[in-house]
Amino acid sequence: MKNILTISKREITRLRTRFSGKSRIAVLAILFLALLSSYIIYHQDMVISKGLYVVGVSADAPAIADQRFHVIELDQQTGYTMLREGTIDAYINGNEVIHRDDQRSQYTTGALQQYLERQELNRIASEYEIDSGFPLRIEIDYLETQGPDSGTATSASLSDIMEIAEPPPAPAGIQAETLISDATVPDTPPPSPEPAVPGTPETDEISNNEPVMPQPPPITRATDDAVRQQLDKFKNGNRLPEFKAEFVSEEEIIIPSLMTPPIPLAQLMITFFYVVPIFFVSLFFTSSFTEEKVNRKLIILLSAPVTPQQIILGKMLPYIGYSVICIIAITLVLGGNVLLALAIFIPVMLFIFSIYLMVALTYRTFKDQTFFSVLALSVVTVYLVAPAMFTGVSNLSYISPLTLAVEMYRGESFGLIEYFLATTPLYLVFLQVMYIGTRVFGEEYLMGFRPLHHKIAEALYLTIDKTHLNTSVLLLSLFLVPIVFMAQLFAIVCATNLPMPLTFILIVMISVIIEEVAKSAGIIVLLQNNAIKSWQKVIPLAALSALGFLLGEKLLLFLALRIISESMFINALFSAGLMVVPFCLHLVSTAVVCLMAMRLGIKYYLLAILAGSVIHFIYNLYVMGAIL
Amino acid sequence: MNSFLVMLRRELRSITKEKTIMFAIIIQFFIASFSSIILVGIMAFYDPSSIGRNTQIPVQVGIVGDTSSPLSGYLKESRLVVTSFQSANSAQAAFLSGHIDAIMAIPKSHDGVVDMKLFLPELDTKKTVVFMALDEPLKKYENHLREANGIELNYQDVGGEPHTSYEFLYSVIIPVLMLFPALIAGSIVIDTVSEELENKTFDTLMSAPVSLNQVLSSKIFAAVVTAAAQCLLWVGLLRLNAIFLQNLGLVLLLSVIMATTISVGTAIIALHFKDRERAQFVYAILLVVMLGGSYFLNPSPFSLLTQLAAGDPNIGAPEVALYAIPLIIISTIFFKVSKRLVSVAG
Repeated sequence: MKNILTISKREITRLRTRFSGKSRIAVLAILFLALLSSYIIYHQDMVISKGLYVVGVSADAPAIADQRFHVIELDQQTGYTMLREGTIDAYINGNEVIHRDDQRSQYTTGALQQYLERQELNRIASEYEIDSGFPLRIEIDYLETQGPDSGTATSASLSDIMEIAEPPPAPAGIQAETLISDATVPDTPPPSPEPAVPGTPETDEISNNEPVMPQPPPITRATDDAVRQQLDKFKNGNRLPEFKAEFVSEEEIIIPSLMTPPIPLAQLMITFFYVVPIFFVSLFFTSSFTEEKVNRKLIILLSAPVTPQQIILGKMLPYIGYSVICIIAITLVLGGNVLLALAIFIPVMLFIFSIYLMVALTYRTFKDQTFFSVLALSVVTVYLVAPAMFTGVSNLSYISPLTLAVEMYRGESFGLIEYFLATTPLYLVFLQVMYIGTRVFGEEYLMGFRPLHHKIAEALYLTIDKTHLNTSVLLLSLFLVPIVFMAQLFAIVCATNLPMPLTFILIVMISVIIEEVAKSAGIIVLLQNNAIKSWQKVIPLAALSALGFLLGEKLLLFLALRIISESMFINALFSAGLMVVPFCLHLVSTAVVCLMAMRLGIKYYLLAILAGSVIHFIYNLYVMGAIL
Repeated sequence: MNSFLVMLRRELRSITKEKTIMFAIIIQFFIASFSSIILVGIMAFYDPSSIGRNTQIPVQVGIVGDTSSPLSGYLKESRLVVTSFQSANSAQAAFLSGHIDAIMAIPKSHDGVVDMKLFLPELDTKKTVVFMALDEPLKKYENHLREANGIELNYQDVGGEPHTSYEFLYSVIIPVLMLFPALIAGSIVIDTVSEELENKTFDTLMSAPVSLNQVLSSKIFAAVVTAAAQCLLWVGLLRLNAIFLQNLGLVLLLSVIMATTISVGTAIIALHFKDRERAQFVYAILLVVMLGGSYFLNPSPFSLLTQLAAGDPNIGAPEVALYAIPLIIISTIFFKVSKRLVSVAG
């Protein structure tokens, strides 16, 4: 621990001397400008498509205050001529919108329609009472789709429906049901046209058989508040600070026309606020690491009585500290829960650091490093942001911790399982990279100048503990699962660009190939380095690798399914059939790959992978065929 | 000139040798794919009607209460399957057995305000799909009720097409694709310049019969050529996806101007700070500043690219020419100070 701190201190001093004197002032000034401009933009309504549409308006047309539209006031004749000539995209003549048939004009009109509708709603809200202006209020309730055996909740909502749907049978009945139903839910007005007179319910009591509602007249409604609230929100528009992204809002009561769904900007904003500063910090980390590597200072350090682990941790610690400070500061500024934010973003931070550590360990020139850093940056961003875009739409979005952050800022809660699904892969990647990092931390690997795949093979070989081959291979496959999972996610992201049936086949194929590579990689590097030579050794290792992979895969799937769907999937998942058959498959395909590579030579590894993948692919198609 | 070409070839070879372009393309491919994911996400939230229109999933709605309400007509117009139920119990039974996806309880009478109830499935994805499908008929019904209250809404049938993806494509994806190569060009310049500075190879180069500015401009030019090549590649790929850019020449010209401006700027930064670490950091922060600052320009490079690519009839060469001015200024400064900056390195 002391060694780690010593190295950390040295790292901080190094950073400080780097930015001293004039350059410190310059950097601080630029940093200040960056903060200032982000702040100003944050407080402006950010419009990304300034002046995209060109619109002509007549004198009596409503004012258009939206920067997306480039507005020109034109009299009717010029307007029509210019529209025909294509110098404007649409012309608003009083209450009419005139457009052409080409796409540009059509899109412009679509955008205008949306904008004008919004303006109309604002006009109605200011000109009329909310009762007449917003006459439809819908209360949302959720019903479980499970069998009738599950749920006392459903029977309660049943009575709610009864209450509205059927004419009230008897006064006593009504009162009983009002008690059961939610107190905020307004009852339907009585079927009789005249409103009940308040103040004299006692005298009427059970005097006749006609049902009389014991409610005050419907002048103030419970739903009015909901309308007002949503109107306020509507008038403020889609301002950025609002961390809201769910389509079906959490309000129980919705008003159809006010239900303009918010743009899911929250996810992007959170990425921007949290992840970008972490990226900046980690940029320093890799830079410093690479520089000391190139200057051979790291190698010199190794001759001192410190372990590789201490060196890595020591050099990383200051930057981790800076990132944590960033996270805390940002959360305080945004008014979030600091502990929760730390719980969510520390794994994200560790993940980013570990990716960058691998880049720094593997690459020697700065140019390479720049590119791999940018690549890593985009990959990590995709991994974090893409699933989070679907917060509230699909539970699959929980594979990204940003989803948790979005929920935190919306004041919603999430369970431990969601937390683990989102963060476990990240923690695991960090631990793995730390382990790999300490294993490969030697002069030969750090200074070696070889193509990427050789570097990876070398790293794998160094990682495997040669005295415990069996355990190592099993654990290697197990721990590669999160990486495989992420790689497959990218395959899905990339394949979405293609037409549908192709996408599907491609995803399955790529996934299969990635899995085959992951399972066989460890055994192949052992073969390559002549650590194992006979098929008697290869087959048990293939079995162990298959087992490790299967365990990891099922564990992850278990977490995912726990969140996505019902318990029956989980029972099915662990039933014997679904464990033994896939195990056989993994064993066969891995063994085929390894034995082929052994026979033909490592040169033909790709061919071997293809052979194994074909087996795996056919099996997958068969399984899916059986399911579909 | 000849020696410049030799230098340029040397720089370009070093970029291609390290598979730099390939990485750059992979990165941008990721970004493009990622953008399309965002697009789907945004469509789901922002333009649900387009998804509702495109979904093939038939949504079945059960109605209880006022089955003769105009709402059921609107639902049918939106191609939803509507079933009326006499009692709540039978509707619930149908819901539980999976025959209907949602239940609407419409009050039999109202005094201008309708408080209705909507029962949705608890399952997340299904809820969203059902809700999207119900969006349009519910709005129509609301307008019907407004009319009954004597309120007329204008601009209800303006027409046009859903514009979200169009807007996103032209105002986000295309500018990003066209400007990202310029950002990479800046990084390349910093790396090559600071590499020479740190390895002290500038001195060696200077002993050859080339001027310092020739060496530096060959580096810049190589980076710009790389950026231009990427832009061309993107234009081709977009074309394959049936997306055609208007004013193609001007779009490319603007991208090249931006790439050159950034490259010259980063060359100054690299020469000033001398080491890669600080130069890259300052460059990254400056980018944030510039992106923020450019937002206040009219037109900003971003929105100018949008308007050009989308075929805005009122935008053309003069606006692009404006961006040549900062380029000329920064280049003049660069050629004036380059020698001094290098000699400070000693």
